[in-house]
Amino acid sequence: MHKRLDRSIDLGPYVAGPDDDMIICRCEEITKGEIRKAVHEGMFTTTEIRRFLRTGMGLCQGQTCGNLVRRIVATELGVSVGEIEYAVARAPFRPIAMKTLANEVEEG
Amino acid sequence: MKRYELIVIGAGPAGLSAAIEAARAGMQTIVFDENAKPGGQLFKQIHKFFGSKEHKAKIRGYDIGDDLLREAEALGVKVVLNATVVGIYEGKEITVMIGDGITHYKGDAVIVATGASENMVTFPGWTLPGVIGAGAAQTMMNLHGIKPGHRVLMLGTGNVGLVVSYQLLQAGCEVVCLVDAAKRVGGYGVHASKVTRTGVPFYLGHTIKAIEGDGKVEKVTIAALDDTWAFIEGSDMTFEVDTVCLAVGLSPMSQLTKTAGCDMMANVPVTNGYGETSVPGIYAAGDVSGIEEASSAMIEGRIAGADAAYQAGYLTEVAFKTIVEANEASLDQLRQGMFGPDERGKVQTTTDEGIALSTTLLEKGYLAENEIGYFPGVETRQKGIYPVIECTQNIPCNPCQDACVKGCISIGDKITSLPVVGENIDCTGCGLCVASCSGQSIFLIEEKAEENIAYVSMPYEFLPLPERGDRGLALNRSGEVVCETEIIKLRSSKAMDKTNILTIKVPLDMAMKARFFKPLTEGGAKNA
Repeated sequence: MHKRLDRSIDLGPYVAGPDDDMIICRCEEITKGEIRKAVHEGMFTTTEIRRFLRTGMGLCQGQTCGNLVRRIVATELGVSVGEIEYAVARAPFRPIAMKTLANEVEEG
Repeated sequence: MKRYELIVIGAGPAGLSAAIEAARAGMQTIVFDENAKPGGQLFKQIHKFFGSKEHKAKIRGYDIGDDLLREAEALGVKVVLNATVVGIYEGKEITVMIGDGITHYKGDAVIVATGASENMVTFPGWTLPGVIGAGAAQTMMNLHGIKPGHRVLMLGTGNVGLVVSYQLLQAGCEVVCLVDAAKRVGGYGVHASKVTRTGVPFYLGHTIKAIEGDGKVEKVTIAALDDTWAFIEGSDMTFEVDTVCLAVGLSPMSQLTKTAGCDMMANVPVTNGYGETSVPGIYAAGDVSGIEEASSAMIEGRIAGADAAYQAGYLTEVAFKTIVEANEASLDQLRQGMFGPDERGKVQTTTDEGIALSTTLLEKGYLAENEIGYFPGVETRQKGIYPVIECTQNIPCNPCQDACVKGCISIGDKITSLPVVGENIDCTGCGLCVASCSGQSIFLIEEKAEENIAYVSMPYEFLPLPERGDRGLALNRSGEVVCETEIIKLRSSKAMDKTNILTIKVPLDMAMKARFFKPLTEGGAKNA
């Protein structure tokens, strides 16, 4: 669905920003600077950023930071935010204890 | 694994409506909701809804929620609460977390009505305790009876920002200002006016620069934006607040449809005209299929529910088409007007009637005095009592037309037309129009009630209610004090549904200025 991004684009050197220490993903405590640096290290998609930094992998499953991360990545790459895919969704959609996940019950 | 003919995920306005429509046709229906209470956002909506009678206009959201629950129950719909759908698999099989267990269900059809979540914006300090979503503030106030804070700054002037600001005032909070990066108020002018007349300033073309505080929100700095969205130097303003509410839009919670393999457009499942996604038998209705509001969510739900019932053979083609046509017409009405989906992003300058839109209303949140006279609901008459309808934007709403038994007010067949007050009217001053206006934009004026004195009647929804004889200050549309005043009448009745009508006495030249009452004593509208 998402457009393959041009991997050869030159992002130039990473320049620290004044708000780099601002937390973006609250659940996993990932800062804006960490996300920006990850882009410079070659993480161009939501999936890559997620696996690299764990953004959107916490309690809220990216419902809060998903769009914020997409926007930071887009700005860093100099593309419109529409070019950055939304995160993949998969079960379980909500935080769940392993013992609950393993406890299958029939409707009573 | 238990099989149901229809599984609805989400017991909000869309989900309940879908379940009702399907169950009415005879479908065996179950609804899951992860919350402890059903109704989605409806029970937080303490204001009167817009629209026409069939959209349940002038009824408050929580009453609409009660109606839906009763209807669903009467039809035998099973609503399971504290039941979180955590997975969706091939063949419309879902897993539901209930208590500490997982139960599998299979639906012949599945309607996803999971709603939306609030967007956030970032600025230094956005993670400090005290920065909350406007919806969270509403939950605290309207569901749990807890004040979210004492001094609040609202970011966002869409309908959510406007409505929640008003509700914060009603809860006794002080709203220091509304801020929006856009240059125009995003929501209905009537919602904005309700807030401005109490004395709350709007800062359009501004946004939050930073929030500071020691472990919690203590002060917030806003600044003006230039055309490139950069802060204009020297435009900083700082407010001491303990709460910042963010009302900056909603995002569909569409994980279920994505996982089910439905075609998506950005974050929204693509649906046909009946709410069915690209996966046969899986539907999306309400905010998850595109952000609108509760009234349209209910209609989308009804259409999806009817389609599921039709496809299962519970409705004849004729019966199905009848339901769909009625609902489509109703939905089409709601999408008309200057805030309709087709108008988004366009800069309008005139109403459908060709009247110049009030720029003060769009830029500052109130109608300027010199703009009011151009609108068909406003005609001053020197004698007798008459309604003044300060409704100046084409929005889909018409209860005022039905409220007047004397036929003084007309909107016509087009629901978005501006209300017109007839020339030779026979107004008795009953006040039903005032209470019927969901936008609180109708006032009754009685000029020369006494020599050089006019009476102004206004909708009033603040507690504690003032009493007859109470003295106070009259505020104009922008919230400035214009004169001293005294309450000469206070009316409330069941038909008015908690909109009280306050009549104040003002000097004659204040008849078209005085629009809000601020009590001199503590209590009531503290912010005014």
